[in-house]
Amino acid sequence: MRKSYVNNNIKLDEFDALIKITVEMSRYLYPYIREILQSKEDFEKNSVIWNDFKKRLIELIKERFNLDSMRVKKLLNQTENDEIIIKSLLTLSLCISNQGYQKLKNFLFDF
Amino acid sequence: MIQNKLSFHQSSVSLEIIGLPDYSNNENKDQISIISQWKLTIIDKPLIEGKIEHLGPIMDAFYIYSNLLIKNEIPIYESKLIDIKADNLHIHNIVLKSSKSNVKPLILKIGNSLLSDTINCFDQLNESSKVRIKKIGFYKNIPKKVRFGLNNKVKFFNFIMPPFIAICSLILFSSTFIYFYNPVDDNKKNELLIPK
Repeated sequence: MRKSYVNNNIKLDEFDALIKITVEMSRYLYPYIREILQSKEDFEKNSVIWNDFKKRLIELIKERFNLDSMRVKKLLNQTENDEIIIKSLLTLSLCISNQGYQKLKNFLFDF
Repeated sequence: MIQNKLSFHQSSVSLEIIGLPDYSNNENKDQISIISQWKLTIIDKPLIEGKIEHLGPIMDAFYIYSNLLIKNEIPIYESKLIDIKADNLHIHNIVLKSSKSNVKPLILKIGNSLLSDTINCFDQLNESSKVRIKKIGFYKNIPKKVRFGLNNKVKFFNFIMPPFIAICSLILFSSTFIYFYNPVDDNKKNELLIPK
């Protein structure tokens, strides 16, 4: 999905390390993740946080991802991407416990 | 006898466990093994409390429901004690049914933020060394067969793919040769080689 001419397959150790970093980051960023989710729930009253987050996420995707990929196009599709973003944030918010590493790994294998 | 009280907090949700240590098992004074009461407080929502036998099924319901939600399966959980279903992407409808016939069920609507807070409180309880309950965990609920698959999926995939591709290509090439092979021509050639 990334903008790269080299097709490197991720190794199992690297995959594990990435999950560990993601869990640590989501633990640290939990209050922000929660705010973004809450902003979407009360969209009429408090849409600023959700809109800012989504705008920045789409900017980053356009900057760093391969825009010819179908999966990236799906991420950028305004009608479909809300559900993907909410589920991704919810997944991260559920993996902040000490067993978060195992939880996130299981979620990813089932994805 | 003074009961021990332990609280687990996560943003807008707090879970309180009240109980006693099991002195017959030589446990510390601050341990809770015999739970007498629990309370789940969600800000702006009615208090949820119950007996120990209700805590396990409620925790189970939340874990199973969140798994269904994330795995893109139909997010509905129904049991004698609790029903949870999604109204839409952001709102989850929880119906807590009382064991007493004359008490109306308690209906709560919570968003994704409160759902994650609640599950994180349950995670803290599961991971706490001070409370001894029948531990419920996301990972522990997965059957052994699936658990094996999860751990070895990548290795198994790498192991099985090369021979699988080899067999497929062998079948593909042999089937093309069968297509070109004409048994009538072969018989004529044989007749020419061995005259009657």
